[in-house]
Amino acid sequence: MNAVEIRELSKNFGSKQAVSGLNMTVPMGAVYGFIGENGSGKSTTEKMICGLIPKSGGSVKLYGKDHTDADVRAKVGVLIEAPGCFPNLTVWDNMMLQAANLNIKNAEQEVVKVLKTVRMEGAAGNKYKNCSLGMKQRVGIAMALLGDPVLLVLDEPLNGLDADGMRIMREVFTDIVKDGKRSIIVSSHLLGELQKVATHYGIIRHGQMIVEMTAEELDASCRTYIALQTKDMSKTKAILGYKYSRVEEDEAGYLRVYDMTMPEDVVAYLYQNGIAVTEVMTDKIGLEEYYIDLMKGGK
Amino acid sequence: MTHELKFKSPSFSERLKGMLGVDFYRLFHTPMFYIFLVIAAIIPALVSMPSQDGTTAALYSNVWQIIAASKPLYVIESIADYANMNMVFIFGGIMVSVFIGHDYKSGYVKQLFTTHAKKQDYMMSKSIVCAFAMACMCVTYLIGGTASGMLAGYSLEVNAGSLILAILGKMVMSLGWASLYTFLNVIFRRYFGVSIGSSFFFGTGILIIGVAAIVENLALPTSFLNIFLYGSSVNACLTSSFGTLISCIAVSAVWAVIYNVAGSIILSKSDVY
Repeated sequence: MNAVEIRELSKNFGSKQAVSGLNMTVPMGAVYGFIGENGSGKSTTEKMICGLIPKSGGSVKLYGKDHTDADVRAKVGVLIEAPGCFPNLTVWDNMMLQAANLNIKNAEQEVVKVLKTVRMEGAAGNKYKNCSLGMKQRVGIAMALLGDPVLLVLDEPLNGLDADGMRIMREVFTDIVKDGKRSIIVSSHLLGELQKVATHYGIIRHGQMIVEMTAEELDASCRTYIALQTKDMSKTKAILGYKYSRVEEDEAGYLRVYDMTMPEDVVAYLYQNGIAVTEVMTDKIGLEEYYIDLMKGGK
Repeated sequence: MTHELKFKSPSFSERLKGMLGVDFYRLFHTPMFYIFLVIAAIIPALVSMPSQDGTTAALYSNVWQIIAASKPLYVIESIADYANMNMVFIFGGIMVSVFIGHDYKSGYVKQLFTTHAKKQDYMMSKSIVCAFAMACMCVTYLIGGTASGMLAGYSLEVNAGSLILAILGKMVMSLGWASLYTFLNVIFRRYFGVSIGSSFFFGTGILIIGVAAIVENLALPTSFLNIFLYGSSVNACLTSSFGTLISCIAVSAVWAVIYNVAGSIILSKSDVY
C-alpha cells in the first residue's frame, strides 16, 4: 500500500486546466520531493490532496482510502503557502487552537513537544504577527506535526529558514519517516536542500507529472562531468570546444566537459595545445542541474 | 518494520467537539467577543436615554419595551417599534462576519478543512458558537436596557411570564440568525466587505418589513411572516405565550438546518481556500 496514490487527477479553473491527468505515487516512509516551476500545478495538487479544493477528475487515495474519508484526513498535517495562524494570538494560543481542532488529549504537553522539536519553545509567548518569517515557518511546521500525522504535505516549508532551521527540518523529516509508515510530500525550490532529505522525487510541468523516481534512480541518471581550471579559461574553452560537444563554465569558475571521456585524455589534449591544467576532478550533476536539464528538454 | 496503519474514523461528536473547541477557544481568547458584548449593553442606553430636550423620552413608556415590542409590529411606525433586542441580530451579523472572515484572512481555514473532511462540521460549529455569542449579547442587552430604562424612569410594569418567554424566544432565534450569517459568509468568503454588508442588510429585516408593508396594505394577515427569522424575532414580544416560544424554537431550528445544509453543499463543491 502506498501513502498517496493519485491517478489521472485533473483540475480546471474555468477554461484553464491547472492539473491534467496527473499520476503520482508516494510510498510509505518516503520523503517525496515534489518539484516544478511556478504555476506548474504543485500547490493545486497539494490542495486537492488535502481536500481544500475539489478535483475535476481522477482519484486521490491516501493509505488506500479515498482522500475525502474523515479518518485518514484527520491524520494529515499541512503547511500550504503559509502557516494558517491568527496574527493577534500568541504562538502558544495558535498551537492550542490546532490542538483543540485535533481533539488532542494532553494538549499542553503535545504543544510543548512539537514546539521543542522545531526549537520554538522559547518564543511560545510571542504574538504570531511579531515572529520573523523563519519563526513563522517553524510554527507552521509545528502545527503540521501536531496530532501525530501519518502524512505531511508541506509546500515550501524551507522558505525563510536559516541554516540551523534547515538542518533542524532535515532532522525532523528523517525522524518522522524512520518507522517506514509516515510519509512527507515536500515541495521546494531549494533543490540542493531537498536533495539532502528526499528519498523520492516527482517533477511536474504544465500540470502533468513528467518523471517520478527514487533518489537512487536520480543518482544513476545524473551525468558525470569533468571539471577543470587553467590559467587561461577563455582560450581553454575555445580549444575544448573543437573536440568536445558540450563544454560549459559553472558558477564556481570551472570549465565542465560533459562528454563521455577520461580526465587524463582531456588534460593530455590541453597539454598538446599548450595549456597547463591547474586543477581537475570528476563529479556528478545534482538535482538542480538534472531538473534544469529536464526543463530544457534533455536529460 | 511493519507497514500496518489503522485509522480510527472520528465520530460525529468527536469531530464537532474538535471544531467547537477551536471556535470557543477563539471566541474567548479574542477581544472582539467582549467588545460586542459591551456594544450590546450600550445600544439600549443610547436609544432609550432621554435627550436633553426630552424628545427621546417619548419613545418608550415602559422599561421592557426596550427589550421587546408591546405587540408583533412587522411594519415600523416609530424607532421604538424597531429599537429593541432584535438589534442584537444586526450587530451579531457583523460579529459573525468578523469572526468567520478571520478564518479566511489568517488562512487558519486550511487547518480546519484539512483535518475535517466533513464540511457540515464547519457550518454547525460556526452556527452554534456564533449563536452562543449572540445569546450572550442578548443578555448584556437585557442588562443594559433594564439599567438604562430604570435610570430614565420608565415604568417597570409587565407580565413577567410573557417577558421571560419573549427574551427566551429572541435568544433561541440567535441560532437561526447565526446560521444565516454563517451561510452568507461562506458564500462571500472571499469578499469580506460584501460579507459584512450582506449580514447587515439581512439583519435589519428590511426584506420582511417591505413584505409586511405590502401585506398590510392588502389587508391580509401578517402572521405567516412568523415563518421567517425576522418575523419570528418580532413575534417574540411582550404579549408572548408559550406557543410563541415553541414557534421561535421551530423556526430557528428549521432555518438553521436549511442554512447549514446549503452552506455544507456550497463548501463541498467549491474551493475552500
